[in-house]
Amino acid sequence: MNEKVIDITELHKSFKEVKAVDGLSFCVQKGELFAFLGVNGAGKSTTINILSGILPKDSGTVTVCGEDIDKHAESIRCKLGIVFQASALDKRLSVKDNLKSRAALYGIFGEDFRRRLDELDGMLGLKELLQRPLVKLSGGQRRRVDIARALIHNPELLILDEPTTGLDPQTRQTVWRVIDELRQKRKMTVFLTTHYMEEAAIADYVVILDAGKKVAEGTPHELKTKFATDTVRVYSHLDEAQQLCAEGYSVKRERDFVDIEVKNTAVATQLITARPELFDDYEVLKGNMDSVFLRVTGKNIEEA
Amino acid sequence: MKELKKFWALTVRNMKCYFKDKFLFFVSLITPMILLVLFVTFLREVYISSFKGIFEQFGFETDARLVNGLAGSWLLSSVVSVCAVTVAICSNAVMIQDKIEGSVNDLKTSPVKGTTLSLSYFAANFLVTLTVMLAVIAVGFVYLAIVGWYISFVDVLLILADTLCCVLFGTLLAGVIESYIGTQGALSAVSTLVSSLYGFICGAYMPLSQFDEGVRNVLCVLPGTYSVGITRVHFMQGYVKELGRQGLSEQGQKAVLDSFDGNLYVSKTQIPLWSMYVILLGTCALLLVAYVTIVVLQNRRHTARRVRG
Repeated sequence: MNEKVIDITELHKSFKEVKAVDGLSFCVQKGELFAFLGVNGAGKSTTINILSGILPKDSGTVTVCGEDIDKHAESIRCKLGIVFQASALDKRLSVKDNLKSRAALYGIFGEDFRRRLDELDGMLGLKELLQRPLVKLSGGQRRRVDIARALIHNPELLILDEPTTGLDPQTRQTVWRVIDELRQKRKMTVFLTTHYMEEAAIADYVVILDAGKKVAEGTPHELKTKFATDTVRVYSHLDEAQQLCAEGYSVKRERDFVDIEVKNTAVATQLITARPELFDDYEVLKGNMDSVFLRVTGKNIEEA
Repeated sequence: MKELKKFWALTVRNMKCYFKDKFLFFVSLITPMILLVLFVTFLREVYISSFKGIFEQFGFETDARLVNGLAGSWLLSSVVSVCAVTVAICSNAVMIQDKIEGSVNDLKTSPVKGTTLSLSYFAANFLVTLTVMLAVIAVGFVYLAIVGWYISFVDVLLILADTLCCVLFGTLLAGVIESYIGTQGALSAVSTLVSSLYGFICGAYMPLSQFDEGVRNVLCVLPGTYSVGITRVHFMQGYVKELGRQGLSEQGQKAVLDSFDGNLYVSKTQIPLWSMYVILLGTCALLLVAYVTIVVLQNRRHTARRVRG
């Protein structure tokens, strides 16, 4: 039986008249990569801040690793590692001083700290950064240090609040390599908020938030099946293909091709077999998470 | 024991954050630097001519070393008492910067008690202010040794004890005033206001004896006046004793002390040294109660809001 690492029921949080989180309920299973999607202001960071004990909730229940956040806040904090959207480390202190001061808060001192620092160095390549002040590091290097800080106490649950936003592709790859390693070797549960749909697409489970409310949830496959449409892209007989709009298809003409929107692959097959003369040169494109997001929120996440 | 180790780790971290921030360190030293510039440019001459004026009234003459040392010791007592507050206000900025830059959220997600976190800010501020003040005193003593040293060993110890009291007062005052500050603007406003006003209202820049009696009585209500008062006594008494040894009458010595706040008066009544300590340390006790209450209330409010849900 699956074990719930996070269980949230009817969570409410308002800032004066603004309902940041409005009756949110979901759960995260042990060992899974959970993606939390939403435009800016959807309530993602507020939920994370409540989970980590920074913000008090207005109502609802929040259980982390089987413990109620109201009764066992300190014990829960030992099991959480958080990478904040903006680095929350001390900019003028060296990387080593930052990690040392944070490790001490979890009771990790002396030889234990040195051992853990070596492990993190092996994972994130920190050695050449240790003596440098945080303020002198690049965005990618700083992100690696943020992740090292979140992992300093070997947490059971790693919360990543938009960890790859603004990073170059190489650093994004490094971040994902570390996440994969943590999940494979340590079976760590990863709770992720992201703006990148390709990152959400590889999650085990996705919850989409809009205006503080859950608007969709499921595995990426379930969501795509339910909300996304496939596209038949035709590269020949463009004028004839465009006429399909008269038969009720949604058709979009571009310079070199025509996109015909179809409900799913089965419908695409029916169309192709019914009108084979139009399909000399074509491909069927599966619906992606972008179209899921657009469909359920009516918003394009890249514009958010 | 573990919580104590966490407390010390946080205290060290807070101190490092202060000393590594060169701008913050520089801002903390603005008040002593302003006093030094004022002293070098014109205050020194003003003090020396005032001392000489008093000596002339009593038909007394002395060498330049004693007068220069007396003027220097007066300045140094001002620097110690004022800077204990202004440095504490600036060094406590680490706490406010943590709120502004979000570091406090990172600390709050760690298994550390809110009270431990708050007390670590207080302890770091106390140690930072004390370190800066001891450095300032060391430089001041070197200066006095060059221009004229007449301070006894006992007075040196008493000056260090006074510094400890002033730093305690400054740190507690900073803790209470800055507990509710959460923006850079508010921090700048408080720092500027305290740095520019505090020296005037406690008689550090200008002796209270120069003020109108009514104003002087009002200023004597403020506890900061007594932090200046106690340091004045111990910085000046060695020089005044030497004046007596060289032949200045008791009346003349009293005139020097009265004119330069070596003696403080409410109306016509002299305030004894012991009551200055009582008032200053009593105020420290009240500020400590206020600070602890604020810390406990802030932590309780956060926990209560969390549990209420």
